[in-house]
Amino acid sequence: MSNGLPNLKRCTRCIMPETWESINFDSEGVCNICRNHEVKQTIDWDKKRQEFVDLANQYKGKGSYDCIVPFSGGKDSTFTLYSLMKDFGLKPLVVSFDHGFYRPKTLENRIRAMKKLGVDFLSFRSDWQIVKRLMLESLKRKGDFHWHAHTATFAYPMQIAVKFGIPLVVWGEPSAEYTAYYGYDEPEEVDERRFNRFINLGINAEDMVGMVDKVTMRDLEPYRYPSRQELAGIKCRSICLGSYVPWDVKKHVEIIKRELEWETDEVEGYPPEYGYEKIEDMFQGTDDYLKFIKRGLARTCHLTSIDVRNGRMTRDKALELAGQYDGKRPASLDVFLEYVGITEDEFMKIAMSHQVAPYKHDPSKTERGKELWDQKLWDRTKC
Amino acid sequence: MLVIIDYDMGNVRSVSKAFELLNAEVVISHRPTDILQASRIVLPGVGAFADGMKHLKERNLIEPLEQAVIKDQKPFLGICLGMQLLAQGSEEFGKHQGLGWIDAQVKPLKIADNDLKVPHVGWNEIKYNESCSLFNGLKTRSEFYFVHSYHMICQSPKDIVATTDYGIQITAAILQDNIFATQFHPEKSQTSGLRLLTNFVNWNGHG
Amino acid sequence: MVKKRIIPCLLLKDGRCVKGVNFMNHRDVGHPVTNAKIYDAQGADELIFLDITASRDKRSILFDIVSQTADECFMPLTVGGGIAALEDIQELLRAGADKISINTIAAEQPKFITDAAKRYGKQCIVVAIDYKQNDNGKLEVFTHSGSKATGLDPVEWAKEAERLGAGEILLTNIDQEGTRGGYDIATIRQVADALSIPVIASGGVGSLEDLAKGINEGHASAVSLGSILHFTNQSVIKARDYLHTLNVPVRINA
Repeated sequence: MSNGLPNLKRCTRCIMPETWESINFDSEGVCNICRNHEVKQTIDWDKKRQEFVDLANQYKGKGSYDCIVPFSGGKDSTFTLYSLMKDFGLKPLVVSFDHGFYRPKTLENRIRAMKKLGVDFLSFRSDWQIVKRLMLESLKRKGDFHWHAHTATFAYPMQIAVKFGIPLVVWGEPSAEYTAYYGYDEPEEVDERRFNRFINLGINAEDMVGMVDKVTMRDLEPYRYPSRQELAGIKCRSICLGSYVPWDVKKHVEIIKRELEWETDEVEGYPPEYGYEKIEDMFQGTDDYLKFIKRGLARTCHLTSIDVRNGRMTRDKALELAGQYDGKRPASLDVFLEYVGITEDEFMKIAMSHQVAPYKHDPSKTERGKELWDQKLWDRTKC
Repeated sequence: MLVIIDYDMGNVRSVSKAFELLNAEVVISHRPTDILQASRIVLPGVGAFADGMKHLKERNLIEPLEQAVIKDQKPFLGICLGMQLLAQGSEEFGKHQGLGWIDAQVKPLKIADNDLKVPHVGWNEIKYNESCSLFNGLKTRSEFYFVHSYHMICQSPKDIVATTDYGIQITAAILQDNIFATQFHPEKSQTSGLRLLTNFVNWNGHG
Repeated sequence: MVKKRIIPCLLLKDGRCVKGVNFMNHRDVGHPVTNAKIYDAQGADELIFLDITASRDKRSILFDIVSQTADECFMPLTVGGGIAALEDIQELLRAGADKISINTIAAEQPKFITDAAKRYGKQCIVVAIDYKQNDNGKLEVFTHSGSKATGLDPVEWAKEAERLGAGEILLTNIDQEGTRGGYDIATIRQVADALSIPVIASGGVGSLEDLAKGINEGHASAVSLGSILHFTNQSVIKARDYLHTLNVPVRINA
């Protein structure tokens, strides 16, 4: 068995292993994510599209903006923004939570998109000194250092909706694409329930305030999901565009490359043909490495499974690529360790404590990955 | 105005908050005038049958309830003890008379299977009559929260609109004209419960 | 058929949730109401709050937490810790609790169980039994947050509590609590098999496998989780999915 392909029970259709969140296998060994995908084929997308048009019409032309589009600059939010403006004629306020991990190419992609689309853009970057401490605390407790990004990415645009009085918030990819938490048959409301079910790692801002020394709720305000009353006050409606139009990643990437000069980038740990995936985050490689230590799978397994599900790749090819690319120790880990102030041994100890049975990680078999072209440009201000 | 009867039998607050979440105008009351003026009535309840009847009597609630529900046919929801009190009588801690609105008796839950504990506590699936509008929008396999040691046995099967399996088929919900009642707690049953309560808020009292 | 229940258990101290090991060295694990909302959103079957605040003066904090939780979460809530009189039960029920857990007072005044069950209904009364190995290597029930020996055997005391009117038993092994080293399956099974009321297994869950063992081998009607939810990336949803894949009867639509 090659390095990146641990010996785990896998779906007989795609290659996702038993350690993946929310997965289970039916009597034919097919996973529930694949089965969910079958439902996607049966949806009347014309009807769904019309539903979206009718919904959007309730908000069009009222107030300074028709909707908020939460934005990162990655392929999904870029396509969502493009489509809402060009296909559906909405005037959005673009809202971006800056988690401090954006890479140079993504920052350029963002500016190009804003200029070519002609749109108002609000970007918010939270206190980095607090962020570093949140990264370490969530790494220790949950084996995931992105807590601040997960929470504020979803909470901050909702806060802006309340502050500016913009009731409609439109997100992009429905989570049914890669987990079984929601099905295509239920419209996905991107609300507090979803936030609590699987966005915030089981920790709210009000929880985190007691877990990290010397922080107050003022420091954690960007991560606080607005209350039911606040959202009811503006009659907030928060939905996924992907519940109303079929999500085709490769098609979307072609469109934004052509129309907005969106560019792909070099990535850590997966084949270059996926250079459109998660290119915005400088720690995507470190995050994947953590995932591999915990579950024995990383992004190649995940992406090739999506391709298998969509009939774009054979299962054997998927296994080959996952074996080749997953599981390397990323160069970005050096920067990560410097930011949060821990050693690699401490990192490994924390990561290994979060393993998901039955996977058992063997660090001795790990190869080092190549450094990204822009790693030397990342800000290393000591603070 | 939706009136929730407070007769000092268990937690009325949760019932009230659930309806508030659904934007219903709610008041918790034991005043006969409120009952008579209500647009719909909810009788919750946790505790012993005899205590329930005693508290209703002591607060002079039986007459206004009969006026509002039986005579004026206001939509009515009984929950748990609030369902059992509708029966002719109960065998809990002796023989006691109930409101007698439903032709039924309340008897102790006696299960032959030793693995099935009493009280029946926890979430259980219900089999429900799909033509009953109070169950609109529920998933086919819906689970609700039960906690009881006694159960209602109806003389007339047509009064039963939902059952649940616990060794035997237990009456989970009854419907007679404008009187709807559940053995389970919709206010403790998260999404399914809130769905059912929404349906009650919108119910016209028939079917 | 009634489903097996997954019940997060939160220890409350001065208005915050805390978690320790063997009832000691407590760390902050969040805010009770936001934690409760997370569990509610994830479809936890019930929630238990156990108040370990030392001072009775701060009791009103507990009532506020219970009310806020009951106002926002529509699932059954059991509250325990520091119950000393029937009025305490009344107050908590009025604040929004559905069931009350009694521990020290039940062991010290067994008749309290009967009085409480008669007044509030036995389905409302959970008797919590904390036990550990004593100096003679035998299992013994301890009260006062695990500090005072009672001379009682946990299995015998559980049987007696049922006889006196308890509706459920919350059984916690102090030696396992917070260690994430697994349940004390043998004792859970002894108690569950001896009783005709439900037993909630508590203390020591470190992996989802432990939950399955608690139900399949321990014969518990419900599994309580603490540390695993705070110090690992496990969650109520993952626990339920896992048990579902093993054909343990848990909720399907939660």
